[in-house]
Amino acid sequence: MSRDAILRKIDNANAVRMSSDVAAAAAALIAEPDGYRATFAPQSVYDRFVAKATSETVTATVEDIASLEALPEAVAAYIANNELVPRIALQPRDSLTELNWSGFETVDQAQMNETLAVTFADAAIAETGSLVFRTAPDAPVLLNFLPLHHLVVVRRSSILPHMEDAFDHFGTTADAQRRSLNVITGTSGTADIEAKNVRGAHGPRFMHIYCVTD
Amino acid sequence: MKQTSHQFSENVTRALAEPTLKIALDRTTTLLRTRRAKVIDAFPEYAKARETAQKIKDHTLDNLGHYLRQFEENAIASGAQVYWAATPAEARKTVTDICKAEGAKTATRVKSMLGEEIGIGEALADAGVERIETDLAEHIIQLAGDPPSHIVMPAMHKTQEQVAELFAAKHKEPSEEQDVTSLVGSARRELRAKFMNADISISGANFLIADTGSFVTVTNEGNAELTTTPPKTHIVTVGIEKIVPSLKHAAVFLRLLSRAAIGTEITQYTTFFNGPKRDGDRDGPENLHIVLVDNHRSDMLSDFLRPMLRCIRCGACMNHCPVYAAVGGHAYGAVYPGPMGSVLTPAMTGLKGSKDLPNACTLNGRCREVCPVNIPLTDMLRALRAKQFDEGMPTPMTKWALRLWGVMATRPALYRFGTGVSNMALRLLARGRGKITSVPLAGGWTRTRDLPEPEAGTFMQQYKKRR
Repeated sequence: MSRDAILRKIDNANAVRMSSDVAAAAAALIAEPDGYRATFAPQSVYDRFVAKATSETVTATVEDIASLEALPEAVAAYIANNELVPRIALQPRDSLTELNWSGFETVDQAQMNETLAVTFADAAIAETGSLVFRTAPDAPVLLNFLPLHHLVVVRRSSILPHMEDAFDHFGTTADAQRRSLNVITGTSGTADIEAKNVRGAHGPRFMHIYCVTD
Repeated sequence: MKQTSHQFSENVTRALAEPTLKIALDRTTTLLRTRRAKVIDAFPEYAKARETAQKIKDHTLDNLGHYLRQFEENAIASGAQVYWAATPAEARKTVTDICKAEGAKTATRVKSMLGEEIGIGEALADAGVERIETDLAEHIIQLAGDPPSHIVMPAMHKTQEQVAELFAAKHKEPSEEQDVTSLVGSARRELRAKFMNADISISGANFLIADTGSFVTVTNEGNAELTTTPPKTHIVTVGIEKIVPSLKHAAVFLRLLSRAAIGTEITQYTTFFNGPKRDGDRDGPENLHIVLVDNHRSDMLSDFLRPMLRCIRCGACMNHCPVYAAVGGHAYGAVYPGPMGSVLTPAMTGLKGSKDLPNACTLNGRCREVCPVNIPLTDMLRALRAKQFDEGMPTPMTKWALRLWGVMATRPALYRFGTGVSNMALRLLARGRGKITSVPLAGGWTRTRDLPEPEAGTFMQQYKKRR
């Protein structure tokens, strides 16, 4: 059987190289992460996140809102400013669905050509201006990928400095993993034609982030 | 794809005669080099990151058996099915069998070089499955019927004008405008419904995480998630060297991969997948199959090509290679072009059919300089040349020339006399015009380029005069 033959070849090639304590050797390699990742002190985690998320390469926009209750009004303003139809594909998460969405048509899953979706990010990463989404029964994947306009809510307190912090926050063991963890940094882009950067390749063309400051 | 590395020199002649190829390559590689330099300059921790990445890869390769077993156990626990394939043929058969068992008619695919390596297109065709490429560049070359010419940007050989022509001819609702934004919009319209209606999705993986059983994809288009979420079954084909110990080890590479490849700090979409759809999930595949592919990687572990297994497929080596920039990826006649390809192709398909590849290199060393995991590409290419010589592959002419060189190089007086004579001869050929347009017996060299006129006197002659 191929499995055993492949592993046997690998073990033979590595006979004299294998570490005696693999876990300790692996941990030692990443013991000092600040040496090899982009640090940004004295800039605050919030300022770094906003600076990166709105940078030329990430292309999102960020707006502070005082509380979740202020979200529907803020979304209404976005829809009006962009002259969109008042239809929202709303992530079916209680904290979002229990808000007052009167005046909008809300649906709980995205259609193929959905215009706009509102979803909650479980965390954000300041280093790169990224948002972190974990799948759950009330957090399907496609809501983050199908719409043209992706409106994301994130709590200011859940902005973490680095990707490693997000791993620690949600757990690094096999059991702690959800079906998927999407780290999304801005809008869908491509450079496949003459390396020219263009937005809205397959996923969202616009990303607007509501940062809840409570 | 059909390998044509054995006719490298014919391929090069064709590539050099191609009128638009040089334009496409110049436009793209120049932009990519500039962007990379800018983002690396803004990352003072780069040297340490690169060193850490190299150490992690070396550690992982040293304990590869341990990590692969750990990955397998965790992936199975997450609900995935894991297969092992020693050869591309085995990998293809595994994929074909899964497709047939599912009764699949269509498959959407996320670009992966491992998929190209094993011939995934053939595997799907054998199962009677229609293949739909979703990465924009792969979509372009699928419409054009071309093989990929770069590992990150497979359509690098196409100009914007050529893409516009292609989409106008093949898309259902092509855009009227021919600017890049409109072309991308046309592809978006063309592929939307196909994402939602495919029976099977196929992807590779940029990383496997041993201690969680996860696999990772990175894209800028978001096509990995759009491709692999709707269909009932997701098949992952991945090389065994893609494994890293943990999520935090992967983070080290994520910072390097996108900087080296396209000059950004992170790709737009980085997804960690763990098993199939779970109870209550509203989307995601019901079945997840992971095919681990060896294809000579375990052989490379025990020879001088071992450092090549550190490769994370960023493509920086080809973007910085003067040979690649002149002839493009197709000339190499193999799945992996450029410097990394000239090492991998002989390792995976034999040196005999690809003996020109290690020689298609000036040993200038830029590839190694920009490699995010510090692979000694030039050392390995030189070692492959030595191996060719030891195995008696060079032509009698080359052997004679090398022998003559050996005689000269070990006799300084003879060497100086010889170089002095050739210096004079070349200056005569230049006839004071500053360049030499033809040299007897070296027409192959001067047909496509001029030689500069040499200085008056060899280095030693000038040195003696000035001392």
